[in-house]
Amino acid sequence: MRFTAAGFTRAVSLLAVVATVGLLPWLSGRDPALTVLRARSAEQEPTQEALDAVRRDLGLDAGPLSLLGSWAAGLVRGDLGTSWVSGTDVLPSVTAGLQVSLALMGAALGVAVLLAVVLVAPVLVRGRASAGAGAAMLAAVPEFLLATVGLLVCGVWLGWLPTSGWQGPASMVLPAVALGVPAGGLLGRLVADALPAVLEERWVELWRGAGVSRARISAAALRRVLPPLVPQFGMAAVGLTGGAVAVETVFAVPGIGRTALGAAKSQDLPLLQGSVLALLLLGLVAGALAALVRRRLLGPALRDASLALPPPRPVRTHPAIPLTLAAVLLTTIGWGLLRDPYAVNTAARLASPSWAHPLGTDGLGRDVLARLGHGAAATVGTAAAVCLFSLILSLALGFLPGVAAGAADIANALPPVIVGILVAAAAGPGTGGAALAVGAISWPPLSAHAAALVQEVRASAFLTAQRAIGAPPSWILTRHVLPSVAAPVARHALLRLPGIALALASLGFLGLGAQPPAPEWGLLLDESRAYVERAPWAALAPAIALALLAGLAVSGAAYAQGRRGTVSATARKETPVGVV
Amino acid sequence: MASSDILLSVRDLRIAFHGVEAVRGVSFDVRPREVLALVGESGAGKSLTARALLGMAPRGATVNGEIRLDGSPDLAAARGRRISLVPQDALSALSPVHPVGDQLAAAVRSVHRVSRREARARAVAALDRVGIPDAARRARAHPHEYSGGMRQRAVIAMATLNEPDLVVADEPTTALDAERREQVLRVLSEQREAVGAALLLVTHDLDVVRDHADRVLVMYAGRTSELGPTHTVLGQPRAPYTAGLLASLPQDGPRRRRLPTLPGTPPAPGELPPGCAFAPRCPLATDHCRSEEPETRELDGRLVACHHPDRIPDDTATLFEEEQPA
Amino acid sequence: MTHLLDVRDLVVHYGTVTAVDGVSLTLEPGETLALDGPSGCGKSTTALAVLQLRRPDAGEVRFEGVELTSLTERELRPLRPRMQPVFQDPYGSLNPRHRIRDAVAEPLKVQGRWTEADGPTRVAELLDRVGLAPSYGARRPHELSGGQCQRAGIARALASDPRLLVLDEPVSALDPSVRAGVLNLLADLQDDLGLGYLFICHDRAVVRHFADRVVEMRDGRLVT
Repeated sequence: MRFTAAGFTRAVSLLAVVATVGLLPWLSGRDPALTVLRARSAEQEPTQEALDAVRRDLGLDAGPLSLLGSWAAGLVRGDLGTSWVSGTDVLPSVTAGLQVSLALMGAALGVAVLLAVVLVAPVLVRGRASAGAGAAMLAAVPEFLLATVGLLVCGVWLGWLPTSGWQGPASMVLPAVALGVPAGGLLGRLVADALPAVLEERWVELWRGAGVSRARISAAALRRVLPPLVPQFGMAAVGLTGGAVAVETVFAVPGIGRTALGAAKSQDLPLLQGSVLALLLLGLVAGALAALVRRRLLGPALRDASLALPPPRPVRTHPAIPLTLAAVLLTTIGWGLLRDPYAVNTAARLASPSWAHPLGTDGLGRDVLARLGHGAAATVGTAAAVCLFSLILSLALGFLPGVAAGAADIANALPPVIVGILVAAAAGPGTGGAALAVGAISWPPLSAHAAALVQEVRASAFLTAQRAIGAPPSWILTRHVLPSVAAPVARHALLRLPGIALALASLGFLGLGAQPPAPEWGLLLDESRAYVERAPWAALAPAIALALLAGLAVSGAAYAQGRRGTVSATARKETPVGVV
Repeated sequence: MASSDILLSVRDLRIAFHGVEAVRGVSFDVRPREVLALVGESGAGKSLTARALLGMAPRGATVNGEIRLDGSPDLAAARGRRISLVPQDALSALSPVHPVGDQLAAAVRSVHRVSRREARARAVAALDRVGIPDAARRARAHPHEYSGGMRQRAVIAMATLNEPDLVVADEPTTALDAERREQVLRVLSEQREAVGAALLLVTHDLDVVRDHADRVLVMYAGRTSELGPTHTVLGQPRAPYTAGLLASLPQDGPRRRRLPTLPGTPPAPGELPPGCAFAPRCPLATDHCRSEEPETRELDGRLVACHHPDRIPDDTATLFEEEQPA
Repeated sequence: MTHLLDVRDLVVHYGTVTAVDGVSLTLEPGETLALDGPSGCGKSTTALAVLQLRRPDAGEVRFEGVELTSLTERELRPLRPRMQPVFQDPYGSLNPRHRIRDAVAEPLKVQGRWTEADGPTRVAELLDRVGLAPSYGARRPHELSGGQCQRAGIARALASDPRLLVLDEPVSALDPSVRAGVLNLLADLQDDLGLGYLFICHDRAVVRHFADRVVEMRDGRLVT
């Protein structure tokens, strides 16, 4: 029953996403005819006849269903349509971009695996208890931040490596590192954090007691850890497709991600449809590959056996660390809030930090500290709203695990950036759209956690004892099930807040979220890139704020899990949403 | 006693966590081919002691004292060759992702320099010895394809595979029903006798001790309470703690007699009372007991740590008749 | 004559497996009937089916003369307090988030017998009855030892004023020295309150000591 429900919702969700892509020209609401006309010939007057001709040409006058039909028919024939802007076929642009992106992702995967090995080795060789906070930090840093910092340090200041374009292996280094490091941090952390608990399983005791060598036990433990983690590796690969958009944009790599973003910004909807479809396909293929690898690893005999990993022990950092990070962030934000973020002072453009402007000024002479403080409201406030929405949705879905699982599969295959592109293309870029995009896909880990807790509570003996005293279902639900589920899931949601804020910032950075002159953190970082050589302070301030936020996410995690109680293994089936 | 009569000697074993001693100076010997039982309530330090013999004390534990196997202190080198372990909860003691035969073969190849094929053959032979039908085929199966009883036998096969001199079994029968318990103990003693090993049996089940052990070490709060031949110690206990454990067992006889009970709970490590650790629960305790911890001494063919071993009545149950609320 | 409990031809399926296959038994007030048998023989399923916590697929369960299997969940609810379970895992049977005194008070509240005046007194009495000092009421299950926690579970069961206790391996998870105390408590309660016990246990010595009658189960059936 559960499988059919999951299968059904999975199919429906997938169809809904594809239909959304197909209907983009209609959904976008704005008149694309004007865009196209402008793009095709700048001189032509936008007369009614000219616009009508364009509309007929594009098939926009036939209504949404016929539009979807002809798009789907073209899709089946392998025809992705013609670019509105260049008038050329979409398919060649998409395949060219895809080739570049696949090469980049391949290199990034190499970096990721290398980093993961480095993180896992100390756990296996020296018996460390986890990969530590460093790995968690690496996993939490978003690609756009890493890319910007990499560009700044290696490319601009040190001049070691090319920082833009796609010529030769040297130009691949920085993008591959920026894309690969967060993924590698995630992979390494997943394996390294699962290993210590696995090494305390009974069988290790038996093997040690029977004289099996340490090397053999380490190999066996790795083999034990991998199958349950493979689906999360798949999700990390999906994260790469999202991260590619940011990294390609920063380093001007002509890949599919940059193509998609460019198409979204220039309203070139056929090209956008084609490239988003390609990115979706990449995500789905990654997920399917992960499922295949898992089946291969498990072998026919084990497929039905439960191999849930024991819950990992949380990384305990000193309580002073999250408190200090929070204090620094709050002080900065509070101070900034007292100042005016919009006051333009052309006399004091790109000023260095001083008493008047503690963090300097930006290209328009606006106070960076003020913009940082007011940006927190936009970034963190929106993230809190998204978090609350995810929490409520996942609590409701926790009671319908079958329905939720299918939709979650699709949501997991969608990085926030791609949803953000779709939403921005349909509704125009804005804070609301970015929140919608992140909200639409940030609920699956929470609902999986809620579903696991509901199942756990329902199976518990104390719930049976409730029925035995004659308690009605409403009593059991409100006194026992909901309190057992809501509190841990709420803590989990709180824990994801910084990650969600980083996802929103990445959309802002790509111009898909808040619009100028709003002081959103991602947007601040993007704007400062233009004058980073002359005013590094203006770029560093939002970068450091975002890094502090990531650090807070990591160090606070251990304390968000509560004193005691059942933290199910499913609670950690999560990819940080910040990895886009 | 000639030294060749001693397989394993433990002297003043102390195991501490962050300076708090959980095992507080235990000494005993294991002789070749004998069965020594280690009994006590949860938290008495039985399992810790057993782990220390294999050089497998948990992370964070400081082990002091002397453990020698045939005079050699190198326990890690002996592990798997001369001492092996049957862990608690044998049902989950095999790796779920490796075929059972591969797990046994890994143990062979870690100890002997033999070919893959030879290791496999030995693994299959060991599974066959513990009575797993069609062992060659079953060796390729994963643990979850085994029944509970077969898994327990496979674990015993793995622990006896390299013909050790001492098998340490940590609560091998806890949580098993009566039938399974007998089955596991039977296979264990068959294999032990086949390879000529001694057995250190950690348990809290005095019925198992009575039926299977040659000698018994009763532990309380990390120390030896009583140590001697099973029929001597359980037949006429000299430590009030042993007497209390025995008294609280349901006996044959008039039904629904209230059982004598040991009042209170064992002290946690680090929260020991002054004097004898058992004094607060002991009906015989005197001021002397409450101020000075008794040393072990020899009495009636066993070692006992009690200031007043002679005050224990012949019908030990009467000592604990009066129940106090927990 | 009506029995306290009269079970006839009880059948429970789990998918294609028949876990309980035609079990019949009777129990009188003040009597202990032990159900003995190896793991997986259907003892615990029988217990749940008798309590109607797992509705049986066939057969009758008469409790104080009332046939239960044909009743709806709603009709059953007022009858449930009179038969209470005590489970094997002392910690699992109490909500880990609730204090002991709240867990013991809950049946009174659910069954509409709680008043601010008498409720706390009744809870204190119940805790005293099972040998727990009043201070334990403020603790949560994980702050108690296994034996104390099992006593709290018994106090909670008693709060419903039951006539029948279905004891599913109530002492199997306890150290032998603690086991004796809990068994003594159960024996005292039976003497004082005339409770009927369906006592599920795989320890022969305990069964012999504790039960008036023993029936043995194997592969879902009673063997005689």
